[in-house]
Amino acid sequence: MSNVIWNISFDELCQSAHIDEELVIEVVEYGIAEPVAGQSSQDWLFDSTNVHWLKKAIRLSREMEIDWVAVAMVIELLKQKEALERENKQLHQQLARFL
Amino acid sequence: MEFKDYYQILGIKEDADLKAIKKAYRKLALKYHPDMNAADNAEEKFKEIAEAYEVVKDPKRRTEYDELRKYGGAPGQGFEPPPGWQNQRGGNGFSGGEQDFSDFFNSIFGGHDRGFQQGGRPKTRVNKGQDVELEVPIFLEDTLSAEAKTIEFLVPSRVNGQVSQIKKTLKVKIPVGVSDGERVRIKGQGAASQGKGVNGDLYLHIRLVPHPLFDVQGHNLFITVPVAPWEAALGTKITMPTLTGKITLNIAKNSQSGQKLRVKGKGLKSKTGVGDLFAVIKVVMPPSTDEQINTLWQQLADSASFDPRAQWSNEK
Repeated sequence: MSNVIWNISFDELCQSAHIDEELVIEVVEYGIAEPVAGQSSQDWLFDSTNVHWLKKAIRLSREMEIDWVAVAMVIELLKQKEALERENKQLHQQLARFL
Repeated sequence: MEFKDYYQILGIKEDADLKAIKKAYRKLALKYHPDMNAADNAEEKFKEIAEAYEVVKDPKRRTEYDELRKYGGAPGQGFEPPPGWQNQRGGNGFSGGEQDFSDFFNSIFGGHDRGFQQGGRPKTRVNKGQDVELEVPIFLEDTLSAEAKTIEFLVPSRVNGQVSQIKKTLKVKIPVGVSDGERVRIKGQGAASQGKGVNGDLYLHIRLVPHPLFDVQGHNLFITVPVAPWEAALGTKITMPTLTGKITLNIAKNSQSGQKLRVKGKGLKSKTGVGDLFAVIKVVMPPSTDEQINTLWQQLADSASFDPRAQWSNEK
């Protein structure tokens, strides 16, 4: 049986294909993904959700050729969109039961 | 193999300058990037656009491509690179990425063009296999205890340059207290590395299955409790289901429709504790009434001085 692992270390993350250390540092500096623990970059730990956004950010910056400020904005809006969609779905469901 | 007209894909002229190429690419990328467009064919379309851009923006590659295009390349037609084509020049440092390009691209630029295989910048890290992301539906009940779940998924595998999908089955222990939208990682269960690197990881994207009775908000649960008008008026005790079994719920006298009653600790588990269950009262009219009941309602109407629309009285 395989166990779920909550966190991924900075080093492991960089080992993922084509993620440079500098890119990860940049993404964290812009607040796109936040380490859940660790003071210096070498001790950083990320959770799986952060890894998802981090990869998306790096992909966007590369494929859309946009700067980090724009990437940070896009990611923030995508996060908000995901949260709103989830909330909207829940409220719809609740409303349907009540009416 | 089919010839790909990169100019046509990008919607630009053969003599377009770098500025026009960039503009066309960005416009199309905005439209078809999988992060912006959830349609099924968007990703395929984007890959095509990215591939075209990868070639046309690079003067060296563009010259090569133009030459091929001049000698018999036409869209929709069969295409074979001329003999000895791949030996013409050395590597030029492929800009790289996770992109997987078409056979057509690889037949022209493959081998000698894939950066670090020959001559390119020295590799500091061993390439890890591709990560795989998978949506996993979980029942609310199953989030309360560490459930073993068998999942099936497809992993891309590359053998002799051919990409195929291999079906994998895995038994996973889903941790207690996972929430909707959360992503959890399972180490080493993604795609195998193409080199000597380690396997990619498997990421499970947790989706809570909608429950017939309970709605989720954070770690709290909501259940709608239908009550008769007289139950709401006089108060009552009802037996109510929770995720872990039945409980008795007190409905107080003069309860309102929409009122929420909190049942502590009967919500979902989280890493920090456990949520609550909220019972939302919904006053329901009986579907039809007979003469006798109507008389009783009439008596009530005559003796109760209640104006449910008192708020409207100030409006004109």
